[in-house]
Amino acid sequence: MLISRKWLSQYMDISDLSIEEIADRVTSAGFEVENVYKLSQGTNLVIGHVEECYDHPNSDHLHCTKVNIGSEIVPIVCGAPNVAAGQNVIVALPGAKLPGGEIKEGVIRGEASNGMICSLLELGVDPHTLSEEQKAGIEELPADAPVGDHDPLGYLGLDDEVLDISLTPNRSDCMSAFNMAVETGAILDRPVTLPDYAHAADGGKPTQLHVASETKICPHFMGKVIGKITIKESPKWMKELLSASGVHSINNVVDISNIVMLETGHPMHFYDKDAIKDQEITVKDGFDTDYTALDGVTYHLEPQDAVITNQGKPIGIAGIMGGDDSKILDTTSGLIIECANFNHVAIRNTSRRLNLNTDASIRYQKGIEPLSCQKAMDRAVQLLKEYADADEIEETVEYGSDGYRPKTVTCTLADLNGRLGTDFTFEEVCDVFKRLRFEPEANGDQIICHIPSYRTDIEGKADLSEEVIRLLGYDRLPSTLPLMEMTEGKLNPKQRMIRQTREIFTAQGLQDCITYTLVSTEKKDNAILGIKDPIELSIPISEERRWIRTSILPSLLDVVAYNHAHSIKDVNVFELSDVSATCGACTHLAFVLSGSLQSTRWLDYDVPADFYTAKGIVEEWLDRIGINARMVSYVVNKKDTEHFHPYRSAEIHVGKKCVGLLGQIHPKYAKTTDTKDVIMAEIDFDALFDVKKSKIKFKPVSKYQSVSRDISFVIKRTVPAEDIIREIRKNGKLNKENIIRDVEIFDVYEKAPLPPTVKSVALSILFQAENRTLKDQEVNDVFDQIVAALEKKFQIELRK
Amino acid sequence: MPNFEDLRKEAAERIAQAQDLSDLNQLRVQYLGKKGKVQDLMKNMKNLSKEEKPQFGKDVNALKQHVASRIEEKREELAESEMNMRIEREKIDITLPGRRQTAGNLHPLHIVTQELEDLFIGLGYQVIEGNDIVDDEYCFERANIPKDHPARAMQDSLYIDENNLLRTHTTAIQMKVLEQAAPNLPIKVVCPGKVYRRDDDDATHSHQFMQMEGLVVDRHITLADLKGTLEFLARKMFGQDRQIRFRPSYFPFTEPSVEVDVTCHICNGKGCPTCKGTGWIEILGAGEVHPNVLRMAGYDPEKCSGFAFGVGIERIAMLKYGVDDIRHFYTNDKRFEETFKRFE
Repeated sequence: MLISRKWLSQYMDISDLSIEEIADRVTSAGFEVENVYKLSQGTNLVIGHVEECYDHPNSDHLHCTKVNIGSEIVPIVCGAPNVAAGQNVIVALPGAKLPGGEIKEGVIRGEASNGMICSLLELGVDPHTLSEEQKAGIEELPADAPVGDHDPLGYLGLDDEVLDISLTPNRSDCMSAFNMAVETGAILDRPVTLPDYAHAADGGKPTQLHVASETKICPHFMGKVIGKITIKESPKWMKELLSASGVHSINNVVDISNIVMLETGHPMHFYDKDAIKDQEITVKDGFDTDYTALDGVTYHLEPQDAVITNQGKPIGIAGIMGGDDSKILDTTSGLIIECANFNHVAIRNTSRRLNLNTDASIRYQKGIEPLSCQKAMDRAVQLLKEYADADEIEETVEYGSDGYRPKTVTCTLADLNGRLGTDFTFEEVCDVFKRLRFEPEANGDQIICHIPSYRTDIEGKADLSEEVIRLLGYDRLPSTLPLMEMTEGKLNPKQRMIRQTREIFTAQGLQDCITYTLVSTEKKDNAILGIKDPIELSIPISEERRWIRTSILPSLLDVVAYNHAHSIKDVNVFELSDVSATCGACTHLAFVLSGSLQSTRWLDYDVPADFYTAKGIVEEWLDRIGINARMVSYVVNKKDTEHFHPYRSAEIHVGKKCVGLLGQIHPKYAKTTDTKDVIMAEIDFDALFDVKKSKIKFKPVSKYQSVSRDISFVIKRTVPAEDIIREIRKNGKLNKENIIRDVEIFDVYEKAPLPPTVKSVALSILFQAENRTLKDQEVNDVFDQIVAALEKKFQIELRK
Repeated sequence: MPNFEDLRKEAAERIAQAQDLSDLNQLRVQYLGKKGKVQDLMKNMKNLSKEEKPQFGKDVNALKQHVASRIEEKREELAESEMNMRIEREKIDITLPGRRQTAGNLHPLHIVTQELEDLFIGLGYQVIEGNDIVDDEYCFERANIPKDHPARAMQDSLYIDENNLLRTHTTAIQMKVLEQAAPNLPIKVVCPGKVYRRDDDDATHSHQFMQMEGLVVDRHITLADLKGTLEFLARKMFGQDRQIRFRPSYFPFTEPSVEVDVTCHICNGKGCPTCKGTGWIEILGAGEVHPNVLRMAGYDPEKCSGFAFGVGIERIAMLKYGVDDIRHFYTNDKRFEETFKRFE
């Protein structure tokens, strides 16, 4: 929304306020001024008359001039190609401050020059509003320009200052200059007088005009015939206001339709009366045809678009743009005025689909206030009479109605102060409502507000409280803390476990990551431990962002590939995130190891990114979140050998449930993800959260000596270590007490000279009793019992 | 008669010259062994008179002890010098780098989220999350944004079907919280989460980002209470000297609605490039919960009121750490991530 000082000055006295002051106050009341600019800039200017002009003796492009500035004749050297004797021009005198710098008295190549003849560009005028000639040379003023006048910018109407205001969606009523003026007056607390145009369109001769609507999109349509008008130049004030609003002046009639739209916020359309056959206009939908609009572009109309028709043929796209056939020409002698309301959603949809935004469509999309049809009609007729010699005016015809019902909102002072936490007085509050033209009425402790038709945003007390605080100022809002009963601040158990998990993983050397939820089809297809039935966006952002992921790993592998591509070798990352599918959302944890997890090269210290490092990370994590190691097993991976190396990966089982996959990436998948031999895991976090965890309970540390025995044997290579340990633990009973405290594998050997079918395993078993020191014989008995069991179950051969 | 004095001198000299413990051991054998020089003296005993014998014995013994104690002294001396030599040999370059156990760190967005969560937990708020995919009733209708409301144009959403979409704001969580709690009071929650909009990713836009919203509803919760709460937040996040100001704004789910600015933590409000010379930085949007929102959730807006605020986590992180491009948060470059390793 652009509104200038001249616009506002028509309705109120703001001569004592700088534009910046106005901008600040308007902004702090909820109308954010994004930019303040002047139409032109320059001090110490005067209108001069070029008395003499000749070529500069020492230059091939400069001219020497003698310019009469009223009080004297001054010599000026000028470089503009179009300067000539007899012109009236704008002169910047020595000391003048222009956007390009300060003008000084001087000598240019031997010739005195006491000023500068200016172009509008040099005076800071927006180049978009200038012609090529204006941009190329000095500005030539009319022959009757007042020579010696010290306000050439005022003479040209370029002395205006403009506020560029960003309106919030609830205040699109202020796209009307009248409403913006009332608002500004309320904010600045000064009286506002708007033009009196009520009933200007009343009456008129009987008419043949018939208007109708055959679509719900148009509930209200007003039409009026103006039998006679004169097309001419617009008055200066109108041209100036249009220019301050960034609208080009065309002729008085077209300008009136534009100025009325700017004033009332209601777009209207003027048709050349002779182009409308049978004086009939109907709004219809249901078209499926091409239509060429005023801008010369052909648009395809679809059945849901509202179209203005005459004798069944389109003459305009309703609320957006008229047609070329019926537009106002210099030869136009009579008008038909269209002033209608259209459904804002329908206009928005059509405007979006056609990618066609006009001043009209922007206003219709935001919603038009119910009474503005009549207001626009009245104001247009008033201006046409005054500036276009309107005559033979016929009566207004109307289809439908404005549907307006006056609205009141009642509140008490306590309502307002109670919501805000303030202690404003009754008088202060009523004054705010008066300024806003809510016509407050006191009734006991109640204040009844009569809401103006254009304030469709005001529905209840809450809205009134906002009006009060924004006009009385947020600097009067106290600062307190809620006074309420004590509540416990806390995380829920899952949130706690998520935090703990992040802590455990970072402590083990992994970086916490966040990657995007939306992934490509390829990533969706490569989900690891993915949940069933992935969800696709109905309109994807791009191929890369088409699916909601069901697994984190494909995204995390991207992170690894990115870092590798940037010469970062050791990339160890994890992510904890929700994944979603048709059945709902669940939380996953994924991690990837590559290079080394820890290393200090000069010390040959290296914790490689291999299967066992990854497994150790998982073991430590499960232990710390309270999942008993005895419930956990690592089983040969049968679930996913497409992404995992089939012989270097495992399913992680807790109880009987598979909760995750862990292992080296399959070389084939590694190729497609630009990663080498990385180790990766994806784990169902929710499954682990659901496992019942035991409470920490202190058990006295045994005071008695423990005894360690080593055992070394040859066993079939296919027997997993876990089975061996389980068998040992099972056979540790002495009487009724299991005296095995720990079993630790300290060597596994699989190379020559052993045959390829077997391996040698060495273990250390720690024995200890609860309540006494074990005797040698007791330990030996249990040890023999273990050996016997291993021999029986696995046919081990003891190594001596 | 043997010369005790010569032998003593000779032994002392040779002991003194011993280079190491094995030299010294040889000397011990030479002098004090069974066939050693001192023992040899005893051979002279037989030539002595009965009167002379006791004295001679004493003298031999004294010599023996003397030599033994010289040897012991020397042994200690040699042991110490050998240890000193060992210590010297064991010299290391203490400037070489240590065997470091490198820890990873939280993602900066998680650092900020946790910091905010903890701050509000301290004030008695519960942390509530929700699903990324929400029913549009909770994302929009319940937040007082009906289907054809102009505010819908402000945010282009990512729908998966007619009724479901990726949430465009964490307000969607609050609407669930309200509905589930109604008609009980009080409500005091913060809701962090990922949100999604149809935006092309660039330095300041991301189709995915994080928000945290706060919601307090009770019998008399005022806009002034919101100001006090947000002042607390601004000071915790940006320093004790921060001031805040409210500017009127518009959100469909709050009335009055405000944008909240905080005095610039870089220049202390004097004006600098970070605050574009204004001394103020916009950090969040907030307001009093719209009566329609309370009503739709099952509360009577005549009997209770509340405030709500929404913070952009990326925005806070960018301001706090001076990050210039929102995409950094989702690239997960190790060098970027490690910036946030140390505690603050």
